[in-house]
Amino acid sequence: MDTGNMGIGRIGPFEVFYPTQQAVPPVRQNGDGEIPGRLFVVEGIDGSGKSTQLMLLHKWLESKGYGVVFSQWNSSPLVKDTTKLGKKKKMLTPATFSLIHATDFADRTERSILPLLKAGAVVLCDRYIYTAFARDVARGMDRAWVRDLYGFAVKPAVAFYFRVPLETAVGRITAAREGLKFYEAGMDLGVSDDPEESFRFFQGRIIDEYEKMIPEFGLTVVDATLPVEIQQAQVRQIAKTHLERAKNLRVRP
Amino acid sequence: MRKTYGKLLPGMKPSDLAGKLIVVEGTDGAGRTTQINLLKPWLEELGHAVLDTGMTRSALAGEGIRRAKEGNNLGRVTQSLFYATDFVDRLENEIVPALRAGFIVLTDRYIYSLMARAIVRGMDAAWIRSIFGVALVPDAVFYLRIGVDELIPRVVFSRGFDYWESGMDVFPGHDMYESFRNYQAALLAEFDRLSAEYNFQTIDASADPKVVFAQLKHKILSILESDSRKGYISKLHERPAAAPQKVEPPMAARPREDGARELNLLFQTAAAHRLGHSNGNGNGSLHHK
Repeated sequence: MDTGNMGIGRIGPFEVFYPTQQAVPPVRQNGDGEIPGRLFVVEGIDGSGKSTQLMLLHKWLESKGYGVVFSQWNSSPLVKDTTKLGKKKKMLTPATFSLIHATDFADRTERSILPLLKAGAVVLCDRYIYTAFARDVARGMDRAWVRDLYGFAVKPAVAFYFRVPLETAVGRITAAREGLKFYEAGMDLGVSDDPEESFRFFQGRIIDEYEKMIPEFGLTVVDATLPVEIQQAQVRQIAKTHLERAKNLRVRP
Repeated sequence: MRKTYGKLLPGMKPSDLAGKLIVVEGTDGAGRTTQINLLKPWLEELGHAVLDTGMTRSALAGEGIRRAKEGNNLGRVTQSLFYATDFVDRLENEIVPALRAGFIVLTDRYIYSLMARAIVRGMDAAWIRSIFGVALVPDAVFYLRIGVDELIPRVVFSRGFDYWESGMDVFPGHDMYESFRNYQAALLAEFDRLSAEYNFQTIDASADPKVVFAQLKHKILSILESDSRKGYISKLHERPAAAPQKVEPPMAARPREDGARELNLLFQTAAAHRLGHSNGNGNGSLHHK
């Protein structure tokens, strides 16, 4: 089928792709009929509590009888060894850091996310393209280039952004874990030899990028300083509105 | 001054890349590797430091790509991006440092092969161009062009058909022969399109490898003739008492004369070669020392 006249971008085998450039004509929203599944993603800095919220949403969706599949950032079986090698040996530059993560995301998109959405599943992603946009730009990559790079991504039904002040996140991270990893703390930027100081600086830049993306991509902001239960109630309420139009997604009544 | 096709990578200063970037492109079996194996010792004999590089040779992604290809379950977008990772790793860690140090970089394939493969697999051309916009514009792209009919005997009688070279992931025919024909023909058509856009210098690769080599030498010498460093090197030569030139690394592989003199000689030799070849005898002899 030639989709060129319908204002739908096409990269490779995908009929849908993310409208990353202003010049690209409006694309069909994920969930408007042709792809039966629903994609929900969570975003936010480390320590924002997004993974907890996604886990709770997962449990709820399962209890309601939906076929739910979870996909983690940086988990492609074909690519993750290369990423691990690059991180362990500190071989990654901002450009190769960006590309290897895009490769991992491409494999998960081709192998699971897209086919599962076509099959009618609810797909949950802990981190999505916005993580890449925030981190890569914070590392000095060109904004437009990184957005082009991920042009093959499926647009999510909802992208939740868990907004949290930097100090709250730093407090949660340093209390919960022993030490910060080299790239996680943005040590490759060479701003500071102190991991915590470097982490603070790097995450601050990432927050700036997220804030810019809220209007750019219509991220759904959740106040991550609220009690867990209240956040989850909001998340479920929003998710529900996107599932009502897709009752047939349920795997059992 | 050296440029990229699009965006500039963080930390890259194209102004200080004095070396020469020479690309040898062509489809599978066109004889690229054979020619690079001839060109490298020839250039070194002329006194140039040479770096040769090629696809999947990056320290970062080379092994990962090889493993991913073993399973035949490497998707089209993933494949394009894995190769892009490999390319950028070599660009940043091999090609750019070598050019900065004044090397001649011979690269077996460049972004054009990767673009052709991606486009043949149905990727959006603007998407792939944007990604590879970070690549440096080379000093020359030699496209070793060969038709599918001449290519087949080379492949059959050397290494046989390969899953990926036959494009089995994109042209799944009844057999590898059929897939190979369709895939390589599609690649050739794409290369021909890219040829005009990126100023390829096309060389008939169905000719005898010696003839191809002679043509490549001739074209490369004309690039070296126009080297902007030539003036600087001759100036050094004009000053006879070049005492500081004696500072040499202790482990020098062979005794050297004064560096500037040697380099100048190099250009004279290069000029002589060029004259020698302009009379059309492509026998490739180089030993008039």
